[in-house]
Amino acid sequence: MEEITIALPKGKLFGLSTELLKKVGWTAEGLHEKSRKLVISNEETKLNFIITKTADVPTYVEYGAADIGIIGKDVILESGKDVYELLDLGFGKCHLMMAVPKDKKRPRLEDYAHTRVATKFPHIAEKFFVSRGMQMEYIKLNGSIELGPIVGLSESIVDIVETGTTLRENNLEEIIHIMDATARLIANRVSYRLKFDRINNLVNELEKFL
Amino acid sequence: MNILLETPHGTRDFLPQEAAAKRVIENRLAKLFSEFGYEEVVTPTMEFLETLRISGGVESDLFKMFDQNNRTLALHHEMTTPIARLAVSRLKDSPLPLKLSYNTSVFRFRKNQMGRQCEFYQAGVELLGVSNAFADAEIIALAAQSLKVSGLKDFTICLGQVEFANGLMEENNLSPNVQAEIKNAIEHHNIVELQKIVDALNLDKVAADSLKQIPKLHGGLEILETARNLAKNKKSLAAIDNLAEIYKLAEIYGVADKIIFDLGIIRDFEYYTGMVFEAYAPNVGYSLAGGGRYDNMLKDFGMACPATGFALGIERILQACEMQNISNAVQTRDIYISYDEKIFDAAIKKACELRNEGKVVEISLTPQTEDDAKKSQIEKNYTELIYLK
Repeated sequence: MEEITIALPKGKLFGLSTELLKKVGWTAEGLHEKSRKLVISNEETKLNFIITKTADVPTYVEYGAADIGIIGKDVILESGKDVYELLDLGFGKCHLMMAVPKDKKRPRLEDYAHTRVATKFPHIAEKFFVSRGMQMEYIKLNGSIELGPIVGLSESIVDIVETGTTLRENNLEEIIHIMDATARLIANRVSYRLKFDRINNLVNELEKFL
Repeated sequence: MNILLETPHGTRDFLPQEAAAKRVIENRLAKLFSEFGYEEVVTPTMEFLETLRISGGVESDLFKMFDQNNRTLALHHEMTTPIARLAVSRLKDSPLPLKLSYNTSVFRFRKNQMGRQCEFYQAGVELLGVSNAFADAEIIALAAQSLKVSGLKDFTICLGQVEFANGLMEENNLSPNVQAEIKNAIEHHNIVELQKIVDALNLDKVAADSLKQIPKLHGGLEILETARNLAKNKKSLAAIDNLAEIYKLAEIYGVADKIIFDLGIIRDFEYYTGMVFEAYAPNVGYSLAGGGRYDNMLKDFGMACPATGFALGIERILQACEMQNISNAVQTRDIYISYDEKIFDAAIKKACELRNEGKVVEISLTPQTEDDAKKSQIEKNYTELIYLK
């Protein structure tokens, strides 16, 4: 049996991912988000788990350092990495949207052309605005995106929304939906072929639980 | 850092040991190609942009410049197109099949290329003028043999046939746009997307399932039977027959144990028209080599002529060798000659003599004491010291 390395992201997808993988017997002792170990292995089933920052999962998989991984569609698109996308896992549902302060809403999307937009997703945002024929100034932030318009760093934000609570708390209003995202099972192109049987079995097993 | 000491983005130096390892592999490949009857050609590093565009060279990937007449030139990004141009223009009266090989650097401007730089090295062959399984089998055998002579023990060649997917799509009368979307999803194994596209087509369940199955058709000979049962059209079935025939010949070549079928491999689908393949090694996340049949490209240059071939990524092979702990650097340093003050003439004669015998000999450029000579021999890693006094 070939050894398989699985990259899992820290944060809210971690628990959901390990729970699902456990159902099909893919787990390891000590597989916790706060584990101090960098690689958590299950010798018996020949599985290695690595826990990385969210944005790094596609990188590990693209280079084949991890054979497979679980990560949000938004992160895959933003990374632009060439990874195989095998399964929509359905959880981690959220959507990417543009929001502005309620009191500064402009009538049409085009009215925001050439303004500043704060985002963790500058690539997806740019692709979206370019498709609308708009040029924007992208300000890459790594967290607390909604702070941007409050302190005058930007006119708008492009960010992930699950429930909308954060938006409401900060007097922001969604003005356009950009894309939906869920967690995906991804694979490296070479691993997918050289370890096809194990990976394909995993896909078939997981499908039963979705 | 001093800009005079930098190299441009995406370029690298090969230090002596790295250059030696690269040279060893390139020499073995050159020898192998010529044993198979392939003759080496060298084409210009730059071509007119229009020429490279014929094979679908993406403009933003090319390094471009202008000549004195303001025509746009580009550095070649692969060698199939320049060789096609060469074959149609300079070798059009040569008897077919033409068997040509190359070993050169190619240039692609991409910020993010795994396992290679913007300038990277490729060796490969093109076989022009024959469209049968015999030619394709020769190409695959030669590719497998190339990886073997490079020193790799553990590698796999995944073999597909683009006409299988094409036939299935035509069978369902899909529009060219939808076909392109589906092929794109198959090529990137975006199975989530593939399912979405197919589900939106409202095909009957059997047809829809067949299309969704394509990226999963991976395995040994049994997979050809599975594939055969999915298709009703002539084109797809002919593609499967073609693969079976290639495989039979590969068995005779003794490389069949390296082959796995994978109908999800379609590579650059604008360009390939028949069998396609990629070679992989464990723990290297990208392909080491790739190729296939491209029967339509030469037509775009004005001469309809079937063709097949492959390219090997030298840096990636070097990396795979390293992963498999295979050292190809056989840099022998045999003899260090040093001498006392007055007998430099004897030293030179001795060096010439030994070099004629094929030894690697370095001669000290200044007289040394015997102790210093010993020190130099060890520092420079020579096996033997000859000290003349």
